[in-house]
Amino acid sequence: MGKPQYHTDIVKSFVNWSLVWGVVAVLVGVIVSFQMINPDLNYPPYLTFGRLRPIHTNAGIYGWGVGTIFAMFIYMVQRLCKTPLWSLGLARFQLWLFNATIIAAAVTLLLGYNTTLEYHEMEWPIDLMIVVLWVAFSINIIMTIIKRKEEQMYISLWYMMAALIGVAILFTVNALAVPVSAFKSYSIFAGTNSANVQWWFGHNAVAMALTAPPLAMFYYFLPKSTGVPIYSHRLSIIAFWSLIFMYLWTGAHHLLWTPIPDWIQTLAMAFSIMLIAPSWGSVINGYMSMKGQWHQMRDNYLVKFLILGITFYGLQTLQGPMQAIRSFSAFIHYTDWVPGHIHMGTMGWVSLVSVAGIYFLLPRIYGREVYSIPLANLHFWLVVIGQLIWSTSMWIAGVLQAGMWNAMNADGSLTYTFTETMVEMYPYWWIRAIGGVIYLIGILVFIYNVYMTVQKGKEPAPKLLEVEGRA
Amino acid sequence: MDMASILYLAVTFGLFVVFVLIVRNTYRRRNKDAKEAPKYRMMDDD
Ligand code: HEM
Repeated sequence: MGKPQYHTDIVKSFVNWSLVWGVVAVLVGVIVSFQMINPDLNYPPYLTFGRLRPIHTNAGIYGWGVGTIFAMFIYMVQRLCKTPLWSLGLARFQLWLFNATIIAAAVTLLLGYNTTLEYHEMEWPIDLMIVVLWVAFSINIIMTIIKRKEEQMYISLWYMMAALIGVAILFTVNALAVPVSAFKSYSIFAGTNSANVQWWFGHNAVAMALTAPPLAMFYYFLPKSTGVPIYSHRLSIIAFWSLIFMYLWTGAHHLLWTPIPDWIQTLAMAFSIMLIAPSWGSVINGYMSMKGQWHQMRDNYLVKFLILGITFYGLQTLQGPMQAIRSFSAFIHYTDWVPGHIHMGTMGWVSLVSVAGIYFLLPRIYGREVYSIPLANLHFWLVVIGQLIWSTSMWIAGVLQAGMWNAMNADGSLTYTFTETMVEMYPYWWIRAIGGVIYLIGILVFIYNVYMTVQKGKEPAPKLLEVEGRA
Repeated sequence: MDMASILYLAVTFGLFVVFVLIVRNTYRRRNKDAKEAPKYRMMDDD
């Protein structure tokens, strides 16, 4: 029987576009970080912090993150199911709609249309575009899985399906709103219910968009890069089901000390702590898969990205549960500590694994060896150092800020005014901005390496050509 | 605690029972080879 003819051009397009939106996201991130240091860099009405910040987060999560998910899922599902994608036409439609949606989101956010729901800022017409986009994507992936040639599904497929179903449910429920004009709607939820639904969406978006898909990629690209299967498929299955079981109850950890019922907060706190187990199930599986292969950390740059990525995931999933404890939350909530947490996840975990996936794909989709491994290593060090500077500066700033907010005089009055606490933040915001610039330089090195691979990369070894059915 | 809260906890408990059954099925000794097989087969999926 001949090899299935996998579709790679569509993967290429998604990779390219996700890179474009990734650069936009990081660039706008650097701009807003300088706006915090120097308010004169705000140019009203369009180029203010308030309008640019959601462009940064949405370009990061939906442009770079989801764009990479599209590319990787389409690549992985065909191979794991040993069958071509169900519909190439649908995937092409999805590509156009994806870019149209991101552009529409960016334009409307710049114009100031905003639902005020974090990570769900787009108004209802764009929500509709997102729903069509996600349905098209899900149908294609699920139909490919249904007509698969492999009976038993590899763990990555489980994570992929969870992401497809999870995002669909979360997004639809949180999007329920009554439109009152072309670009204005009101959520059907009000008061504490609104907050509860928003953070049920918010935290599970972390689960279904920033955890499940990168885990699907990690479980796929780690064994492919080391040449050795993962340590335990059974452990990965248990970690998967326990993660799915636990995540759904944790959203309220964003709402500790608020008027939502106390028992919901306690439940969220308990489940957040329990989440350490499934998260570390995957981390341990990753580390154990490296048994006898640790030397590859020295001579295989892909492994470096993947293992550092899973290490950041491990740290993130220890720090997260800690933040979900009432007493700790009372200290760090609303401070700069939280962006430190977020960016270890996004710049560390999600981006390192996604980038490893793209490097892995390059020879397979472009038919050329990666142009420069030294440049890939330089990229690695720049993004790791940039990210560490970014996050550690914010953790220190957050603790300082919390300490100053809580400081009291003997008579019970506050020791510091809010403005005084803000002034103390400036050095840390400078350090963060520098970390961001270093990270951005790393990304530009990566883009250059990708560009040169396409232009000047050497023909790969025959095995790879065979893989693409071109030999 | 009102009825809604009790129902909420009951659903949670029901899911926990499902989870226990999944663990039992996955770690059954006679299922070992079948459950580990995908990790070898994926190595040769190109
Ligand atoms: C065991 C896993 C995790 C737990 C229990 C957890 C817990 C938390 C908590 C309690 C907060 C709220 C902090 C506050 O505002 O006081 C938070 C914020 C956040 N976390 Fe995590 N976290 C986990 C893993 C992750 C991962 C893997 C990511 C991936 C990037 C992530 C991304 C975020 C984001 C984006 C926010 C900010 C939400 C906002 O804008 O307020 N978390 N997390």
